[in-house]
Amino acid sequence: MADYTNYTNKEMQAVTIAKQIQNGQVVIVGTGLPLIGASVAKRVFAPHCNIIVESGLMDCAPIQVPRSVGDCRFMAHCGVQWPNVRFIGFETNEWLHNTERLVAFIGGAQIDPYGNVNSTSIGDYYHPKTRFTGSGGANGIATYSNTVIMMQHEKRRFIEKVDYVTSAGWMDGPGGRERAGLPGNRGPIMVVTDRGTMKFDEKTKRMYLAGYYPTSSPEDVIENTGFDIDVSRAVLLEAPDPEVIRMIREEIDPGQAFIKVPVSETK
Amino acid sequence: MSKVCTLSEAVSKYVKNGDHIVIGGFTTNRKPYATIYEILRQGLKDFVGEGGPAGGDWDLLIGESRVKAYNNCYTANSGVTNVSRRFRDFYEKGMLNMEDYSQDAIMLMLHAASLGLPFLPVKLMLGTDLLDKWGISKEVRETIDKLPNDKFVYMDNPFKPGDKVVALPVPEIDVAIIHVQKASPDGTCSIEGDEFHDVDIAIASKRCIVTCEELVSNEEIRKDPSKNSIFCACVDAVVHVPFGAHPSQCYNYYDYDNAFLKTYDVASKTQEDFEAFCKEWIYDVKDHYAYLDKLGASRLIKLKIVPGLGYACDMTKEAK
Repeated sequence: MADYTNYTNKEMQAVTIAKQIQNGQVVIVGTGLPLIGASVAKRVFAPHCNIIVESGLMDCAPIQVPRSVGDCRFMAHCGVQWPNVRFIGFETNEWLHNTERLVAFIGGAQIDPYGNVNSTSIGDYYHPKTRFTGSGGANGIATYSNTVIMMQHEKRRFIEKVDYVTSAGWMDGPGGRERAGLPGNRGPIMVVTDRGTMKFDEKTKRMYLAGYYPTSSPEDVIENTGFDIDVSRAVLLEAPDPEVIRMIREEIDPGQAFIKVPVSETK
Repeated sequence: MSKVCTLSEAVSKYVKNGDHIVIGGFTTNRKPYATIYEILRQGLKDFVGEGGPAGGDWDLLIGESRVKAYNNCYTANSGVTNVSRRFRDFYEKGMLNMEDYSQDAIMLMLHAASLGLPFLPVKLMLGTDLLDKWGISKEVRETIDKLPNDKFVYMDNPFKPGDKVVALPVPEIDVAIIHVQKASPDGTCSIEGDEFHDVDIAIASKRCIVTCEELVSNEEIRKDPSKNSIFCACVDAVVHVPFGAHPSQCYNYYDYDNAFLKTYDVASKTQEDFEAFCKEWIYDVKDHYAYLDKLGASRLIKLKIVPGLGYACDMTKEAK
């Protein structure tokens, strides 16, 4: 019998993502962990959510894990195949109509205490040490929707000031978004990493540790965060149900496109 | 009037050095690779353009130094090459004039071009370095004809005083390059699956080259106009190019060629290996049919999607 109690931090992260999604929500995902998490949500926690991607494919239910948001794997199993501009119109109108159902998952290379995210380049923008793809859909998503930000939890990634702001978070704190001309009633609501979950203080808009995994600890989070982080409100998060881990490994990502099973399980 | 011609004729007649070029498709889906290869073979260069969600298409043009200025929002063969490697290398070495916009901005700019709008007001990119930092300075912009002198201009919403908006320039597209599932000799196109920005650029461009999986008669394509999305008058050249999007996907026809994308991923790590790849797969290959022969029939057949699944797979290995 395969062992499904030996979950990895990535699997824990995917399950944590899944638990953020509620029935009735419209969920913007990319590929990778958010898609795995949303697939878990759709099967277990929130069967009545709608998964959408920035290419314009709406209400997606892929059989095999797609590699791109424009992948035929999304396209063949969705409700509507909109061009991208319709997706943009939809995300913007969700804000104009002041609905609360849209939640989005974005990723980044660096993040600051206010949830401003860099996915453009490391180092000087004009002479970067490392250049990434560029914004993709992330900037538009961070403009108009509440976001859950996926990060690898490392000191060099959680820093006081990011090298380039690609997607606006809470800017410099309370009122920052409004001053920049951005919708003030939208913004980052959570950061999910391989060590825990961070939220943003209602008053200061600064990141604090909300939850840590059985495999991590508040001390571990402090050690791997490049700015001061309040851990006084942190709670221990539950280990994932082995049945959910089985589902990820056997049904959702059997090809291990985004989540590798632990070495002890490989034949 | 028939617009059917060879790929070589289409490119030599409708693509010119210095063109503002926009390519259809999305990262690894329905990218018109055959036409890109032919553009490279013919030595055309100095292009200005928008990537949209780009992948190997713009990476090839950049790596072969055919790009004068590139408006980027995303360049990757997602899932295989997380950041296109020539794109990255050229930019890191200061060898690429490149501007960053958000993807929403570029897609709306292309849509605005299709609507004939004079400029585009958005609230995107506010509060970020996408506005604060200009990839291409005003001085350099002034030396490039096909680029507006400003990346953007702030303005006050004329209908809501105090509401800050960003005015973006609308691209003036010379040539659009598109691959579709079906086209007829007069240029009518049927795109299956997501159209992406392809219809927008077909309308907005001065010249439009369409390659197609299947060339069908003008009568046949009109049997069900609900499936058609590009009006014949928007198209200048129609070229029958089966597997013309290889190694990317083509909905209802074939999946991406993952092994080929991986080969490109490895080759594009260095300029030397990239150039060897281009020699082997582009310059030493006479035309698209020679490219297909080189790939081989069984390789191409294995890429055919399984109807109902939407992707290619070996059904004998699927879980029983």
